[in-house]
Amino acid sequence: MEEVAVAQSLASVAPTAGEWTAVEEQVLRRRSVRKYKERQVPEDLVRRVLEAGRFAPSAGNCQPWKFVVVRDRAIIDEMEHDIRLACRLFAFLMDWRTSPIGRGPALFMHKLNATLLPNMLHPIPTGAVFAVARGDLMAFHGAPTVILLCEDVRGVSKPEVDLGCCGQNMVLTAHSLGLGTCWVGLVELLKRPKWKKRFGISYPYRFCEGIVLGYPFGEPDGMVPRELQAIDWYENGHKKIVY
Amino acid sequence: MAYISFMERFRIPTYDDPATGTTGRVEIDRELCNGCGRCAAICPGKAIYMAGKGTRRKAGFDQDFPQCMSCNDCAAICEQGAIAVTEPYWFAYRFKTLDRGPFSAPRHFPGGTQDARP
Repeated sequence: MEEVAVAQSLASVAPTAGEWTAVEEQVLRRRSVRKYKERQVPEDLVRRVLEAGRFAPSAGNCQPWKFVVVRDRAIIDEMEHDIRLACRLFAFLMDWRTSPIGRGPALFMHKLNATLLPNMLHPIPTGAVFAVARGDLMAFHGAPTVILLCEDVRGVSKPEVDLGCCGQNMVLTAHSLGLGTCWVGLVELLKRPKWKKRFGISYPYRFCEGIVLGYPFGEPDGMVPRELQAIDWYENGHKKIVY
Repeated sequence: MAYISFMERFRIPTYDDPATGTTGRVEIDRELCNGCGRCAAICPGKAIYMAGKGTRRKAGFDQDFPQCMSCNDCAAICEQGAIAVTEPYWFAYRFKTLDRGPFSAPRHFPGGTQDARP
């Protein structure tokens, strides 16, 4: 196929206003909420959110998910505490700026681990782990309700993708109900015997992601700018790149 | 065509050097800022701080070591419209940022496709 140079000049993609559908509104206006009011979310709303998750598409309709809802302040605080301890261990071993083991060894550990765990130790989550260790950031952001998404590892094809669909259904529904949500990947650090036992999570289930739910602090919604993506577009025997 | 070379894949800098990657950049209009502090309260990276007292209390962006991931939460929560994220974060080498264009607000692409369907 013949490749055509960038078809649409970037100047022509200025934002335009218009009528959005109800779904577009939810998608575009929702922001991740990382500060919550203490007020608990009523049970019926949480049930509605879970219901939206239940109706997510999944490969072969395998529904490879299990939901664990935690609304107990003591348990959330304990999870927060344990995640923070794990983050402090990471920071001790790998934060080259502050580690007591010295810059050289810490950098070595950082590079080794970032090679072995490139997703977890992308620079952004690495920064988040160090921020949690310092006490600048909370894993669960003080939210009153936490939904842990567990994955049935025997799911058809790619169960993690199905969990993504399921969670997206839930966060958009929660947004339409006036709730704030945030995905919490740091639940990865709860993959330890203590918490698996506590929640009764064993094969074939594993902790995959967490979603926190609560009433947001302030008015966090709004449409904001975002980077355009280079999209390859094949049509009529040509390839073009659109933004 | 390789988007990222073999050597780049195995190079993991600390990203402390702006030549290898930078965090997001936030610009705050100090004329419009009313010092409410919401942006600083919600910033996940603690990249925004509040300084000054009374009517001179204003938001500021940490220039030395900001942990901004250009999430735009600050711009969305600001009732005064005083905050704009001007640059997204980007990285080189192993975590090289690929296939991105500049910032744009949501676009609508008017064309009447909704009504035109049979």
